[in-house]
Amino acid sequence: MTMGYDPLVKRLLDGELSLAELPPELRTEGEEALRLVGAADRAPVALSPALEQRVMAAVRRHAASPGNRAWRWLNTPRDVELRLRVRPWTVWASALAAAAALALLLGRPASGPGRGNEARGGARDSVLVRFVLYAPGARRVAVAGTFNQWDRTAALLVPAGTSGVWTTTLALPVGQHQYAFVVDGSRWVVDPAAPAVDDGFGRRNSVVAVTTHGGQL
Amino acid sequence: MKITRLALSLVLFTTLSAGLRAQDVQARLDRRVSPEVQRAVRSIAADAAAQGLPVDPLVQKAIEGAAKGVPNDRVIAAVRALAGRLGEAKEAVRAGGVAAPNAEVVEGGADALNAGISARQVSDLVRVSRPPQDPALTLRVAATLSALGVPAQQAIELVQETISAGRSQSDLLALPGEVQAGLARGATPAQAAAGLARAAGGTPPGRLPDWVPPGQRKPKSPHKP
Repeated sequence: MTMGYDPLVKRLLDGELSLAELPPELRTEGEEALRLVGAADRAPVALSPALEQRVMAAVRRHAASPGNRAWRWLNTPRDVELRLRVRPWTVWASALAAAAALALLLGRPASGPGRGNEARGGARDSVLVRFVLYAPGARRVAVAGTFNQWDRTAALLVPAGTSGVWTTTLALPVGQHQYAFVVDGSRWVVDPAAPAVDDGFGRRNSVVAVTTHGGQL
Repeated sequence: MKITRLALSLVLFTTLSAGLRAQDVQARLDRRVSPEVQRAVRSIAADAAAQGLPVDPLVQKAIEGAAKGVPNDRVIAAVRALAGRLGEAKEAVRAGGVAAPNAEVVEGGADALNAGISARQVSDLVRVSRPPQDPALTLRVAATLSALGVPAQQAIELVQETISAGRSQSDLLALPGEVQAGLARGATPAQAAAGLARAAGGTPPGRLPDWVPPGQRKPKSPHKP
């Protein structure tokens, strides 16, 4: 078999040229090439008789599998006739009950960060407030106040690098809040950057007031 | 007959809401404060609720005391003192012309009293806080100024002058921040507040003395460089 045909012969095979258009010295090569390609095209494909049996057996196994049968059962469209006998008032009552349930579900107030704030009622907008404390050497710093039921573990500050500055940002509900930092779980420290008031126990609490106007005292 | 039914409904409603309030107080105190403090606070809160005072600050104070490891008797004393202050604040707010003050205003008044502002001054502040000013906000601004170290009378006057000058609530809210900025520059609280009071008559707090409202700026003289 000739492996390297002349470019003109290749164009003949591609149908771009006819045999008559080939130069005389290439016509024999062109005829041979057409004969070989034509023979290859017309050669029948003979498959092994066992192959068909193997393929059909695999198809039957697949069709008979429980999962496939279940899928077909679920997926096959069927005609279903549904006949209901209802009294009109029950339809209206059901619709009203569904609407009320939906309204209750959608109308539930979002829970605030602290129970105290829920108890106070009214508008509960939140404003992000950043707390910063310089406490070099501290192992743990938290902020506790009226906004988290004075929980010493609820709002931990994170160290900003190794500079001794600890910081956190909390979403506080509108209102005035008193707070203090808790250093290492037991030492209560007022915020040096905020006003402070008597806490009633002989110590001081820092004060932050968040308003609906977006201001912060 | 109708009146009797209405009265019975009202009594039932009051009893039910009082019961719910008591349950709420109990639930919030549970496992946060000792049983002794719980009993005392429940009683103080019930009395406060009967007088129409907010209960939440009392519960918060008890929880705060327990979290700080304060002895029971001192926690109870502090809660009782706060209840008294809320009652005093309510009376002062009513004396200022608000017949039925809401919880926010009463708490604002109590905060002001705690910051060293007198009941008479609370009434004065409420009196000048006519709409659109919010008395709760006014009281809290004054309380914060006082907490910053501004003498109470000076804090009251600064707030009153700001309101009289027709400044907005935002300007009022800016006062404590301006005082803090003054403190950062080395002024005493009284000096910082005095500077703001001078400015209150002419320019809004925080603005430079040559500030004029937008749109009213005089055109520059073409003869000046």
